[in-house]
Amino acid sequence: MNTLSKRACLLACGIAVLLAGCALYLFFQKRAAHSPEAAYTACIYQDGQILRSISLDQVSETYRFTVEAADGGYNIVEVSPGAIAIVEADCPDRLCVLQGRITDSLLPITCLPHRLVIELKPGDHVSDAPDAVAY
Amino acid sequence: MRTRKLTSLALFATLALAIYSAESLLPPIVPIPGIKLGLANIITLLVLHLYDVKSAATVLLARVLLSALLFGQAMSLLYSLCGGLLCFIAMALCCRLLHRHYPELTSIVGGIFHNIGQLLAALLLTAVPGVLVYLPYLLLGGAVTGLFTGLCARFALRRLRWHRPPS
Repeated sequence: MNTLSKRACLLACGIAVLLAGCALYLFFQKRAAHSPEAAYTACIYQDGQILRSISLDQVSETYRFTVEAADGGYNIVEVSPGAIAIVEADCPDRLCVLQGRITDSLLPITCLPHRLVIELKPGDHVSDAPDAVAY
Repeated sequence: MRTRKLTSLALFATLALAIYSAESLLPPIVPIPGIKLGLANIITLLVLHLYDVKSAATVLLARVLLSALLFGQAMSLLYSLCGGLLCFIAMALCCRLLHRHYPELTSIVGGIFHNIGQLLAALLLTAVPGVLVYLPYLLLGGAVTGLFTGLCARFALRRLRWHRPPS
């Protein structure tokens, strides 16, 4: 085996180990996050500032509200018992809408063009966040 | 020889721009921000393997500037610029390390670094540390799309080897 193919082999092995690590991590994270009884609080961030936090198991009926972005754009958020989703937006790719409704802490919803992140945190109250509406 | 090289590079830049605009018409594959095929990277890989780092950088820069002018999206430009720069540096180093023999490996490394760069940009802009949970998805996605574009580049290189200027 010459130096070149040895290098390629090493690099390929390094990449394979990294990817296997990622896959394993995702597998175990998915198992850990799968607890349907848990209560979640949705935190809505814009530009790193927390806008709202909503305790999802205290929501009794579905409602919508609009978050306005700094550039004049908007995202319409739909809150329903135990779930939250962005149902409408005017960002270029609408990936935030495609991410659908989330019910666990696995992946946050992000709208990168509007710098909006919706994260679910376990627990029915997040202490460091203001409960009042901030706009 | 110089005119020939200039013409070829201009052609490659045009091709990259055409591929880029065609890809932007496709719907996103998975609903995770940051994962896309990055087909225009095939051209960057080709130039990197046929010519040198400087030529590849020129072609990439021409493509990025032209696409910003034509389909300008200020926000996504920032993300792709951050990812693109890191990706290009990683690919240039990798290509030299592997003596231009393994475009698919170079491309996988590029894809991974592209997504790391994008995530860093997202982290800076949204300032929510929670976006870091995307990292394993983005690494896996970057490797898969990198493998795809790398294989495309390999098949294209097989037909284009005659084109390499005598050095």
